Amino acid sequence: MSPRAEFADLSRELAGVFSEGAEGPLTETAFNDLALRCFAYQVATNPVYEGFVRGRGASPDGVGSWKDIPAVPASGFKAVRLVSGDPGRVEKVFRTSGTTAGVDRGEHHVLDLELYRASLLPNFSAHLVPDDANVRLLSLIPSPVELTDSSLSYMIGCVADRLGPERAEFHIDAGGRIDHGALRQALTRAEAAEEPVLLVGTAFALVHWMDVMKEGNWTFRLPAGSRIMETGGFKGRSRTLPREEFYAALTERHGVPTGMIVNEYGMTELLSQFYEPVIRDSADPGVAARRHVPPPWVRTRVLDPVTLGPAADGAAGLLCHFDLANLGSVCAVLTEDMGVTVDDGFRVLGRSTGAEPRGCSLAMDELLSASSLTIRVRP
Amino acid sequence: MTPFDAWTLPASAGDRLGEERAEAAGGAVCYPVLSSEAMRGLCASLRGSREALLSHAVLDIAASLGAVGARFGSSGDPLREAALSLLPHTAGLSPPMAELVLDGMARDWTEPRLLELLEAEFADPRVLDTFQAGARGSSRALGSPLTLHIGSGTVPGVSVTSLIRALLVKSAVLVKPGLGDVVLPNLFLRGLEEHAPEIAAAAAVLYWPGGEGPASDAEAAALAEADAVIVYGSDDTIRDVRNRTPASARLVVYHHRLSLGLVGAEALTGDEMARATATSVALAVATFDQRGCVSPHLVYVERGGAVSPHGLAGLLAEALEALEREIPSGVITPEEASAVHQIRGAAELRMAAGEDVAVYAGGEAPWTVIYEPEPDFKPSCLNRVLRVVPVRKLVDVVPHLVRVRRHLQTVAVVGAGEVEAVELHESLARAGALRITGFEAAPWPPPWWHHDGMGPLNTLVRWVDAEG
Repeated sequence: MSPRAEFADLSRELAGVFSEGAEGPLTETAFNDLALRCFAYQVATNPVYEGFVRGRGASPDGVGSWKDIPAVPASGFKAVRLVSGDPGRVEKVFRTSGTTAGVDRGEHHVLDLELYRASLLPNFSAHLVPDDANVRLLSLIPSPVELTDSSLSYMIGCVADRLGPERAEFHIDAGGRIDHGALRQALTRAEAAEEPVLLVGTAFALVHWMDVMKEGNWTFRLPAGSRIMETGGFKGRSRTLPREEFYAALTERHGVPTGMIVNEYGMTELLSQFYEPVIRDSADPGVAARRHVPPPWVRTRVLDPVTLGPAADGAAGLLCHFDLANLGSVCAVLTEDMGVTVDDGFRVLGRSTGAEPRGCSLAMDELLSASSLTIRVRP
Repeated sequence: MTPFDAWTLPASAGDRLGEERAEAAGGAVCYPVLSSEAMRGLCASLRGSREALLSHAVLDIAASLGAVGARFGSSGDPLREAALSLLPHTAGLSPPMAELVLDGMARDWTEPRLLELLEAEFADPRVLDTFQAGARGSSRALGSPLTLHIGSGTVPGVSVTSLIRALLVKSAVLVKPGLGDVVLPNLFLRGLEEHAPEIAAAAAVLYWPGGEGPASDAEAAALAEADAVIVYGSDDTIRDVRNRTPASARLVVYHHRLSLGLVGAEALTGDEMARATATSVALAVATFDQRGCVSPHLVYVERGGAVSPHGLAGLLAEALEALEREIPSGVITPEEASAVHQIRGAAELRMAAGEDVAVYAGGEAPWTVIYEPEPDFKPSCLNRVLRVVPVRKLVDVVPHLVRVRRHLQTVAVVGAGEVEAVELHESLARAGALRITGFEAAPWPPPWWHHDGMGPLNTLVRWVDAEG
């Protein structure tokens, strides 16, 4: 079979699996089978990955478990182009954000946007609108028209398309400037019309928005069923805020209970996302005790940071994801994020990039930004 | 292991508030938190003891400091033994590395070395005792009444050097070491208390974590009281301390620094020579686990030798591997380990993509050598991670240093050739380098070096002229 036909076949099969939904059944055996086939396809069609895998002494014939498939480092997306298939057929290039000019930006070359949509929509729905509520989307994430190379903007764009243009509003531009007046009006209208809101934004944008609200002494009591998705964290920004405080402020300003606020953890390098299942399960163990869960088509391992073997039970380690939606690039990605296994998911303990090394000779922003250790947070 | 008491205060220090604990790289330390009032009392007491310090001849002070310093290099001495057993638990260094570092630092704390320092800094060191007549009237050099030293903790022993400098110019001194450097200044001052209590009374060592926290009132009081502030640290730390230091206080800053190595073709004329070169480069990189401001981040290697830059990268890997057995690397944080994996993996991918890149790595040991043609100065993630970059001629590196010119420090050079060296030194000086040396000497600047471009004692004194 030609690589193109093989990609189309696998892609169709995966989309079928994704369409079973985030609660869909995917046994370990079935996942392993798909993972090994994706691996074989990627080694056959991606010479860079093939060389990397060979360099690690591995090959599709010698690997029986998805856990043994060599993972590329997330920073590899900055160093090389990772395409499993015909680079001429790349539909979209998503880029990681840089915090400083001149930063090497990671690039995710996406062969099939349909597969990305197939992964992101059921997972988003399962965690943000498991009740199929008729919500109005108010976004503090720039629209994909504004920010064309952001995978996060693309994702929210898909959600907006799904809801329909009359139910989705973007109130921020590509430069991160929030249209305060319009957003205030939209929230006021939703409040008056008893229309539940789905407010989405980066933590940074939401904090900024709440600064403005505080100045104007604005608060809302959004209708029951309203919810908030926040993402991105504060890394690389001037202000940080403890998460409990952040959520308490979101609740105070918008009237959305903490249990209806969900963190999304994602990265440009992965086409699937992770959510805290608090809305899905109608249960919030408290902000500090929350976990993120993968959809069935992603498996996450916690690895010892030194040996890269499995971390001891309950010990913190580096998160290493295997995402079947990454068929067109590389499925196995070793992140710089520390985490710990919690039940069927994991808790992110912080991003290890940008942490100040102990050396007296590194870590100033201006140099970090130019090194290969750049901060990798989606806009 | 019981936590290390990270303070040595005069008996008169006054009330302490609570006692706190901090976790260092391999163990815990504890320290008292002073109230701002107690801190002001401590500063007043130190300043009071300076009067007695002023009555000692500088050469006597050097002799006393040197006598204590020599104990750290003297095998079997209880001070040295205490240092060797405590360092791995606070500085996160392996025991053999702790010994290497202690030997290297203590070498310069002896009386002969301190006399060399005084002579290098002052035409007549007695200007520190009384007015000395010169061709244009007479002059006198006085240290500040009270110096506050804020250390970074990156390299153990740096705080001792700072303490010695202050006492040599007869300034009372409060040393706040970084967490990784709490052992040596405390042991040194305790040794000085035994040997020369009158001199020791003008010094105190106290660890506290900088910034917001229970000790922030005490820190503010110390900054307000000090006549001179010496600060080592990240650019952010420097900025912060600078903003909080009174305008009238003397501020001496040692901010982030970056160092590099240059290997000329003349150091690669044969296999044996290339091996020797690799060994000395590797040791300069491994010392302090590369965390010193003097540690090379990358080496530029001249083409045209019998051994190619690529070949040297392989030899460097062998040398680092051998050093890992002999002087193992120390405690590494998950963040640091992650950075090493990312850098290695990204280089492997570039290699797989057909770029002229090679990676040599120590497996679970962090040492890594990456050969790559990209000539920009990129900082290492440290912990013995070295980039090897080929160049046509050593002087060709100069344009690549422009971006880091304000952070450049040591350039270790070998095999440059006599004629080329003259031009090279001038070019490096203009490019921002502060020190040009060999790889063996790179980790150990002599006591009299112009530390980050400044005379180490001259930056601490105020000159008084009596015009005649």
